[in-house]
Amino acid sequence: MSKYQYVPEPALVKGDHDFSSLTRLITDINLRPTPKAWYLCMIAANGLLFVMVAAIGYLIWEGTGIWGLNNPVGWGWAIINFVWWVGIGHAGTLISAILFLFRQDWRTAINRFAEAMTIFAVMCAGVFPAIHVGRIWVIYWVFPVPNSMAMWPNFNSPLLWDVFAVSTYFTVSLLFWYVGLVPDLATIRDRATDKIRKVVYGIFSLGWTGSNRHWWNYEKAYMILAGLATPLVLSVHTIVSFDFAVSMIPGWHTTIFPPYFVAGAIFSGFAMVLTLMIVARKIYGMKDIMTDDHMEKMNIVILVTGSMVGFAYMMEFFIAWYSGVEYEKAIFILRATGPYAWAYWAMMTCNVLSPQFFWSKKLRRSVGFTFFISIVVNIGMWFERFVITVTSLANDYLPSSWDYYSPTIWDVLTYVGTFGLFFTMFLLFLRFLPMVALAEIKAVIPLADPHNYDEETKEFEAPKVEVPKPQAEKV
Amino acid sequence: MNDLESTDRQMSEEVKETTYWKSLNELANNKEYQKFAEREFPENATELSDGVSRRGFLRVMGASVALAGLAACRRPVQKILPYSKQPEDVVPGVPLYYATAMPVQGNLVGLIAENHEGRPTKLEGNDMHPASRGGTSIFNQAAILGLYDPDRSRSPLQNGEKATKADFEAFANSHFANTGQRIAFISEANSSPTYNNIKEQALSKFNNATWVTYEPFGEDNVLEGNRIAFGGRLRTHYNFENADVIVSLNDDFMSSTHPNSVEYAKQVSSRRKVTDTDGEMNRIYSVEDSFSLTGSYADHRLRVKASQMEAFTYALAAALSTRVNGLSAFSGYSNEFSDHKWITALADDLAANAGRSALTLGSQHKPEVHAAVAAINNALGNTGSTVHYLEVPHLDEQNSTEAFANVVAEMKAGNIDTVVMVGVNPVFNAPADLDFENALSNVETVVNLSDYVDETSLKSTWHVNRAHFLEAWGDGYSYGGARSVIQPQIRPLHEGLSEIEFLNTIVSGSITAGYDLVRDTFQGYYRSGFDNRWTNILHDGIDTTGNFNEVNVRLTSGFTSAMNRATSNVTSTSGMEVVIRPDATLYDGRYANLGWLQELPDPMTKVTWDNVALMSPATAEKLGIEEASAGQDDYDVVEITVNGKSINIVAWIQPGHVDDAITLTTGYGREGIGRVASSYIDYTAGGVDVYPLRGTDNMLYASASVSKTGDTYEIACVQDHHSLEGRDMYRQASISEYKDNPDFASFASVHIYEVPGMKEAEEMGEDQPISLFDEQTYPDHEPQWGMAIDLNSCFGCGVCVIACQSENNIPVIGKKEVKSGREMHWIRNDRYYVGDDPDSPQAVHQPVPCMHCELAPCEQVCPVAATTHSDDGMNQMTYNRCIGTRYCANNCPYKVRRFNFFNYPKEYLTTGDDPDIIQMAMNPEVTVRFRGVMEKCTYCAQRVNRAKIEAKNKTGSPKPADGAVKTACQQACPADAIYFGDLTDDNSEVAKMKRNERNFQMLEELNTRPRTSYMAKLTNPNPALA
Repeated sequence: MSKYQYVPEPALVKGDHDFSSLTRLITDINLRPTPKAWYLCMIAANGLLFVMVAAIGYLIWEGTGIWGLNNPVGWGWAIINFVWWVGIGHAGTLISAILFLFRQDWRTAINRFAEAMTIFAVMCAGVFPAIHVGRIWVIYWVFPVPNSMAMWPNFNSPLLWDVFAVSTYFTVSLLFWYVGLVPDLATIRDRATDKIRKVVYGIFSLGWTGSNRHWWNYEKAYMILAGLATPLVLSVHTIVSFDFAVSMIPGWHTTIFPPYFVAGAIFSGFAMVLTLMIVARKIYGMKDIMTDDHMEKMNIVILVTGSMVGFAYMMEFFIAWYSGVEYEKAIFILRATGPYAWAYWAMMTCNVLSPQFFWSKKLRRSVGFTFFISIVVNIGMWFERFVITVTSLANDYLPSSWDYYSPTIWDVLTYVGTFGLFFTMFLLFLRFLPMVALAEIKAVIPLADPHNYDEETKEFEAPKVEVPKPQAEKV
Repeated sequence: MNDLESTDRQMSEEVKETTYWKSLNELANNKEYQKFAEREFPENATELSDGVSRRGFLRVMGASVALAGLAACRRPVQKILPYSKQPEDVVPGVPLYYATAMPVQGNLVGLIAENHEGRPTKLEGNDMHPASRGGTSIFNQAAILGLYDPDRSRSPLQNGEKATKADFEAFANSHFANTGQRIAFISEANSSPTYNNIKEQALSKFNNATWVTYEPFGEDNVLEGNRIAFGGRLRTHYNFENADVIVSLNDDFMSSTHPNSVEYAKQVSSRRKVTDTDGEMNRIYSVEDSFSLTGSYADHRLRVKASQMEAFTYALAAALSTRVNGLSAFSGYSNEFSDHKWITALADDLAANAGRSALTLGSQHKPEVHAAVAAINNALGNTGSTVHYLEVPHLDEQNSTEAFANVVAEMKAGNIDTVVMVGVNPVFNAPADLDFENALSNVETVVNLSDYVDETSLKSTWHVNRAHFLEAWGDGYSYGGARSVIQPQIRPLHEGLSEIEFLNTIVSGSITAGYDLVRDTFQGYYRSGFDNRWTNILHDGIDTTGNFNEVNVRLTSGFTSAMNRATSNVTSTSGMEVVIRPDATLYDGRYANLGWLQELPDPMTKVTWDNVALMSPATAEKLGIEEASAGQDDYDVVEITVNGKSINIVAWIQPGHVDDAITLTTGYGREGIGRVASSYIDYTAGGVDVYPLRGTDNMLYASASVSKTGDTYEIACVQDHHSLEGRDMYRQASISEYKDNPDFASFASVHIYEVPGMKEAEEMGEDQPISLFDEQTYPDHEPQWGMAIDLNSCFGCGVCVIACQSENNIPVIGKKEVKSGREMHWIRNDRYYVGDDPDSPQAVHQPVPCMHCELAPCEQVCPVAATTHSDDGMNQMTYNRCIGTRYCANNCPYKVRRFNFFNYPKEYLTTGDDPDIIQMAMNPEVTVRFRGVMEKCTYCAQRVNRAKIEAKNKTGSPKPADGAVKTACQQACPADAIYFGDLTDDNSEVAKMKRNERNFQMLEELNTRPRTSYMAKLTNPNPALA
């Protein structure tokens, strides 16, 4: 016996799955009749969506004044929600693009799911910059459209960079998602029995036949898009952070913002994926695909990014003191002790303290606890954006202008309503599209490995490697 | 619209000889015009005939705008003459300026009215008028809104039923034919010689008539005091220009609540214009109970209860009696203040500055105290130099307060048949113990002339709607005695009668035009060369002759015994006392329906839309009132009981207030007089009426019991934070420190180190820190505009805010929106408390308009380039381009940008039954902003451009002469605190100020390079009190 033993990685897909059982497990969700529970959820989600539409309608009718904004605090929940949703939208592309480039095969269980979440989160985010302006009917002026005024937008403005960053991110994420979907759409097309499905899935699967040529094109396209999406993961939240960092308000004007925003975004995005995943795998019986191992890996990411965010919080304090700028010092002290201290400490508790529990392997693997923390993290990240946006504006340079900001019912309803949009889209996704990247996950099950799979025992066998005996050291 | 049409029609029927250039009914009945309005293009050149096409919509809109515009063409019938700029003819878009004057408590302040196409839109001070000298008070500025207030009474009312002017004329003719009836005339203070002529006629015609003057905050006690001291009811008129030392004993003579505030503010501040280290300035002491504007401007301030002011004054007189002659009445007297270090310091300083000092006392203090003050001024030799005693012919020879009480008693007894009330509202503001309302019910016929259908009008048999002073001819004297004619700027919008026309109708039985009455009066003065003189008086707005006589005064023989009686009988309240004062923004309630004033933050508390019970932190603690926390809108309510009558009002902690005293202000709690003054339908606002606590024996103060009720009330306060947090926005030094270190206000002096980036810039040969952005400092273009605000002059009255609001069509947004922190004022007045002692801090005022930064942070972040720089260095807002991201406001370190969260002008300009009226108050040169756009101070770009066009037409260069452009805030300022002009002109006032060592930029280290800068404040403390 060898002293060294090959320890294979745990299988990414548990249970006794072959290609066809995986196909059935995943595509049956789309092919079988719509369950009643889905309708119930859809009604609830549509109700919330209606709340959003109504809140926006009233906003357009009545004016920005229905929100709680005031003179020093020109940005409130709308911008907080925008940054929060964009942050959530980070996980998908990170999982699908960066982890793809790093050959992290475990991503296949959750990438489709996470990308869908990304796209819907960015849609929710996109609502806010469009509606938070005073004159919504001329929002198109932010685009560089040739016009009779012969006016370009102001290319100095971070808000304009935002327009480009978010729209690019959305477009690339959508394309990436769609390209990945093509082989799976073809699978559903092939399994569909009714005409409508055949036609619709047929159209969207772009005539996929599974030929070698198709696969070759697909792999290349996927690789290129992954390459394109990777810098976007970093750029989009960097640019969102510029909305704050480029301005001159104490607490906003800091160079730490881009990395700190990106870390926070990944932090919240992973938390959101976990929240959704834990629910979905329960309902759809996907425990074999989305395993506790996945959960543990994601919890580690949360622990790392949460600690990075915590480090950033402390660094901000240090730099505020070290810079000697009195306004910077004042705002950080005010954040921790001032009128918004409750929000600050809610943020610290949720973002810095709560992920520390994941040092414990037992807790990392606890489904209930993970679910709880994943929600806590997203609450914490919402508070982070609240603290950044509101406290800095409320207590800036001139003490005479300091004022307190409180949201109105319309702020709350608009925010809650975006969950309606999100879940409506998500439910449609669960119903009509394969929630796991079928083609990709098939490639990572043991069966896909032609060399080390024992057909009889249906088990993966470690290659028998001869290891030379260690020679006694010469004296 | 319809109302206007019908009145207009009625008017033209009545005044047949009148020629309008275009009247509304002419237009309305003109078929061709109607056709023209409906059809923009000739027939057949038509567009698609769908329901309401866009073009059709515009047409309809265009027509109604045209009609609205023409409705405004109401030129006065009589000839009035332009003041200084007379174009060959009326050029649309070019305003005309006429001199006029505003009566405030009977005292005229000379004004210049800016007229656009026949309608006055803005009032400014008249440089030639001594009570204005170009400055104005908030009440002068807001008067234009009063003219166009849609809630003003529109017609006479007979027992509450609508009647006509002719009906009233017929009533007057028949009712006042009985000359033997017992008539009581109750009039407001009025200095008009015409009015007083008619008064004489009335008193001689009606044998049983009595005439009393009632003002809730009149000057009777001053006059009585001077009678005790000098034997005559004389008006005390100060000349602070000659005063090196000023001691104010509870007299807020600089704030708008004083009838001569503008002149006094000009005088006091003129002695604080220190331009170099050789400069000297006056020294101001203030002894007061509540924190007043004068108190905040003073170099030393002492908190003394109002009830102790008497003892304090006598103690001061006693201390002075050992130093100067003429105060023997007080020698040997002592009381609890005699050993106070202030008494010694004041006595020393006053004695050292004998003949160059002035002592003033609040007008509501007892006559005996006024007599003591008069004697002190006289003993110091101030009479004739800083203090003048004037014989004022129109003032009553009797004590008005007593006379008024007597008349009310007669009314109660049923001894009066007819009461005629001119401009007074005693049902609302008479002392509560007189129970005026009850007394009125015992009178058969009550005739009332008032601006609004007010509390008194509702109890009257006849109410006559009063013409605004801008609608009617009038005359009068300033506080100091300068005679003027009040020129109307527009025909009466609601066909009201002026007080002289009203009174004349009662006396003569028929209506005579005010013009004839005033002209007759002046013809009486000038028998020869009348026409020329008349023309000059109208043109200049001032009559150079006919001033009040100054009296050489001498103490009466009875003075000593009167003082001995007074000093042996000094009373003061022990325990809690309540002091009732006129409100800083609404005065006694007569301005309650003016939204601008309701929304103007109180200069000290910064509270809008409500009155509050002011108390010191210690008193609040005693009562269990807690300090407000951030974001708090609900404040504790206290119940205040005086003589068995009680009110519930919000408690407000006022640092610097005297302990064990509460200050209340009048004018709030009106009901039914108008949309603004009354409470909102679903929202509590409008404050509390405090007159129920005021009685004839406690016109100023009374002992009271106060308790917390446990209720709360929402208050809209525009400034939550009152400390500077050790920041450097406001810089000040004593004058001796300034002389030792003239650069005390520079960044390096304040911070020990240089502005960050300066060292590097100097190495590169730059004089300012470098920037990443396009530098727009002094491009080749001239002129370049800049502003300097002298903090040493500003005393915080807030007139700049109202002037700006009037000039720039800034909407009134209401209490709810102010409470939400959305006030729209383009210039605001920040007030900070400075000092370690929370009980007695210093208060400083800092007006903050847009800084017009050369490297404006707002411009860099706007995604659509809606805010940009002009060639002449102004940061400009393009409303059309703004999409309302509010990023610019966020990024403004000075927080001067204002966002239209709702369609504020819509609510303000189109609600009510007759919105056209209020629209007439708008300045046609300034866009009315729509919802969703950002706005801010423009440096009055419309004025700048008008001056540039004029200069270019005349000289070919767009550089106006220095002083040719005055921003609205600068023009209105009674302290001349604001300098504005061309920075490329080295000799301009503003360039000189910017070169002064006291000049500093707010937040200089941010390298925004503001064009608005500040001049640090100086104080002149007495070393003995340091």
